[in-house]
Amino acid sequence: MAKVKVATDWLAACAGCHMSVLDMDERLVQLLDKIELTSTPITDLKHPPKEGVTVGILTGAISNTTNIEVAKQMRERCQILIALGDCAVFGGIVTMRNFFDMNEALKRAYVETESTVDGKIPCSEELGTPVRVCAVNQVVKVDIHIPGCPPSPDAIYYALSELLEGRIPVLTGDNLKYD
Amino acid sequence: MATVNIKINGKPIQARPGITVLDAAKEAGIDIPTLCHHPALANIGACRLCLVEVAKQRTLQPACTFPISEGMEVETESPKAVEARKFVLEMLFSERNHYCMYCEMSGDCELQAMAYRYGLDHWTYPTPFPKMPVDGTRKYFIMDHNRCILCRRCIRACSDLVANHTLGVRFRGAKTMISADMDAPFGESSCVSCGTCLQVCPTGALIDRKSAYMGREVHVEHTASACTFCSVGCGTSIVTRAGRVLRVEGDWDAPNQGVLCVAGRFEPLYDTRERLTSPMLRKGNALVPITWDEALDVLVARAKGNNGKKTAAYATSNALNDALGAFLTVFQGKVHATVGVLEPTLEELDLPAGGTLADLDAADCILVAGGDPLADHRVLGYRIKRALDKGARLLVVADGANGMLPFAHRKFPMAELAEAVKICQGSVAPVVIYGSQLDRADARKLATLTGKARFIPLFPGVNGYRARELGLKDGLRANGAKVLYLLLGDKELPEDAVKEARRAAFLVVHAAYKSAAAETADLVLPAPLWYEQEGTFTALDGRKAVVRPAVPKPADVLTEAEVLARLAERL
Repeated sequence: MAKVKVATDWLAACAGCHMSVLDMDERLVQLLDKIELTSTPITDLKHPPKEGVTVGILTGAISNTTNIEVAKQMRERCQILIALGDCAVFGGIVTMRNFFDMNEALKRAYVETESTVDGKIPCSEELGTPVRVCAVNQVVKVDIHIPGCPPSPDAIYYALSELLEGRIPVLTGDNLKYD
Repeated sequence: MATVNIKINGKPIQARPGITVLDAAKEAGIDIPTLCHHPALANIGACRLCLVEVAKQRTLQPACTFPISEGMEVETESPKAVEARKFVLEMLFSERNHYCMYCEMSGDCELQAMAYRYGLDHWTYPTPFPKMPVDGTRKYFIMDHNRCILCRRCIRACSDLVANHTLGVRFRGAKTMISADMDAPFGESSCVSCGTCLQVCPTGALIDRKSAYMGREVHVEHTASACTFCSVGCGTSIVTRAGRVLRVEGDWDAPNQGVLCVAGRFEPLYDTRERLTSPMLRKGNALVPITWDEALDVLVARAKGNNGKKTAAYATSNALNDALGAFLTVFQGKVHATVGVLEPTLEELDLPAGGTLADLDAADCILVAGGDPLADHRVLGYRIKRALDKGARLLVVADGANGMLPFAHRKFPMAELAEAVKICQGSVAPVVIYGSQLDRADARKLATLTGKARFIPLFPGVNGYRARELGLKDGLRANGAKVLYLLLGDKELPEDAVKEARRAAFLVVHAAYKSAAAETADLVLPAPLWYEQEGTFTALDGRKAVVRPAVPKPADVLTEAEVLARLAERL
C-alpha cells in the first residue's frame, strides 16, 4: 500500500510543537512505515508538493500576511488540515501582541529590547505585513484541532494513528490539554 | 416529611420539596457541571453552565436556581443541554484572555476543567482581545480582570460571607467589570484583605502573590488545623509543598465557614523575624548554643537553688492547652513559683462565656462593649456585620475609636453602658460581646443580662479561655525574682515588659523568634511555630480547636509541652 503523504509547516510558532512531533521518538519511526513526510520546516523540502498531500499539519498562529499565504497554500494542497498546538488552535501566546498597538509592539521587539543596540524596525518589502494575531481557523477551514502548549507526543501519535485507521480523532483525557 | 417525586436522566428520585434541581441531582449522585455555583454561596444562575433540559419547559433551565416540583423530568446531558453548555464555554473562553499556557491557575482552573470535560478542542468565535486592567494595588493578592468570567463568586463572598460589601460590578454586557467601591483601586478601597474572594475564585482572576506558580493541587498537601492568631479559633487548611507553607485557606466546615482574616490568612506568611533554633546560654556577653540537656540542667539548678517564692513564671495565653497544663505542673506544682499569664484573661470580670458565632446568626440585638472585634477578632466582627445585614441591631459601647462604630445603630460612651443593657433587655435574642477594656463595675451592669443573652468574650490571648479556666491572672512582675521564666511562643514582648523582665537575676526566655527579650535573656529555649505545633487550644466559645503540624520543626526545636515535661521529670 502506498504511504499516506503528510506535510507540516509552521506559522508564528516557537518550534515547540514540531519538537513534540520529534518527541514521539521510536513511534515516529513506526509511523514512517505508513506515512511519507513530504515536507517540513526542519527538512530540505519546505513546501507541500503541488500534487497535494492527504494530511497537512500547521503549527503556530496567523500573525502576518506570509502566514496567511502559507496557511492558504497548505489548505489547497491537503485533504485534511490539522491545527497543532495552542497557537494554531486558539492564537496562543502570540496573541499577547493584540493587547498592544502594533507600532508599540514592533518598537518593543526590535528597538527597546534590553539586548538590542541601534535597533531598527524591519521594513523590507519582501517581508510579510503584521496582522492582528488569530487562530488558523479564522483564515482557512480546519478539520482537526489538537491544542496544547505543546500538545503531548501521545496526543499527536493518537491523532495520526486514528487517521491512519480511517477515523477522525476525538481528543479526551490527557490528550486534551491547553498547557 | 413530604417528598417530591422527580426523574433525573430517567432515574426516579425522591427529594425534599423546595430544593433545586442541582441539589436534588447532587443528593442522587448525579453530577451537573457548574461554574458560578459554590456550596458556601447563594446561587444566582450567572454562568448558565448548569443548564438542563426540563420536560414541558420552553427553554433550558439553570439547575442551580430551578426548584423541583412533583413529576418533573430532567435531562442533564441531553444533546440540547450539552450543545448549550459547549456554547457557553466557547463564549466564556473567547471573551477575555483565557490562554492557559501562561496562567497561574492552569491545572486547578474550574473553567479549564469544564472545557476538558466537554472536549472543547477549539473556539468557533473570533476573540475581541479587550485590554483589561490588572489591579496589583493590594499587598497580598492580585486581581487580573483579563481572567475574570464574571461569575460573581467574589462579590457574593464579600457580601454574604464577610458582609464587607466592597465588591460589585460596573458597566453592562461585555464591558462588565468587577469593581471595588464602584470604581476604586482595590488597595485603596474598603477591602479588608480577608482573602475570601481569592479562595472562591474559579479561575486565575484572583492570584495569591506568595503561592503563585508554587504548585498545583496535585503537588501540594493540605493539613487541617486551626488559626492561632486570635481566640476565634477559625478552622484552616495549611497548604504546603516540600516542607514549605504556601498559603492558608479557610475551612468551609468549621464555625468560621471558610472565612479568615488578613491576620490569619496572609500576615503570618510574611513574618520576617529570625528563628531561634537551639537552646542558648549566656556566657559573658554572648549567647552560646548548648544542648537541651545542658539547658534543662541549668534551669533546674537555678530553680532548685532558690526558694520557690523567688521564682516567677509567666506564659503567654497564646500557648496551647498541653503547654499551659505542663507550665502549671512545673512552675506551680513543683517549683511553687509565682505564676501568671501575659495577657488579661477577663477572669476578674466574672461574666458568662460560651456564646458562639452561630448565636450571632440568630441574634436580634448585639451589644459590643469594651472591645473591638474588627481590630483583633476580625472574623467575629465580620459575623456581627452579617447579622446586621439580616436585621440585627448593633449597640456599641466604647470610649474612643472602635472599628464597629460605623455600623452601630446606637453608640454609647462607657458611662452609659446601663442604657445599652436596657435595650438588650427588651430584645428577643441578644448577644453580648465583651472585651478587656471593661472594669468590674461595667461587668456587673452587663451581668444583669445573664440568662437572657449569650456572652462572647474577646480574649486578648488565643487560649484566653483555658487560661481563665485555670484561674491564671495577668500582670508581669519580676521584682524580687531570682529566676524568671517566660513562655512567649511567637509573641513579641513590648519594651517596658522586657525591662520589667530583666529585673530578674536570671531570665529564661522560651520563644520561637529572636527578639529584644531573647537577646537580653540568660537562657534561651527555642519554640516551634504555628504550623509546626500539635495540640489544642480552647477557642472563645469553649470549643477545642485542634492545631496540627503541617511542616516538620527545625531539628533542634522541641514542642513547648515536651520541654516542660522534661523539666518536670528533672525536678
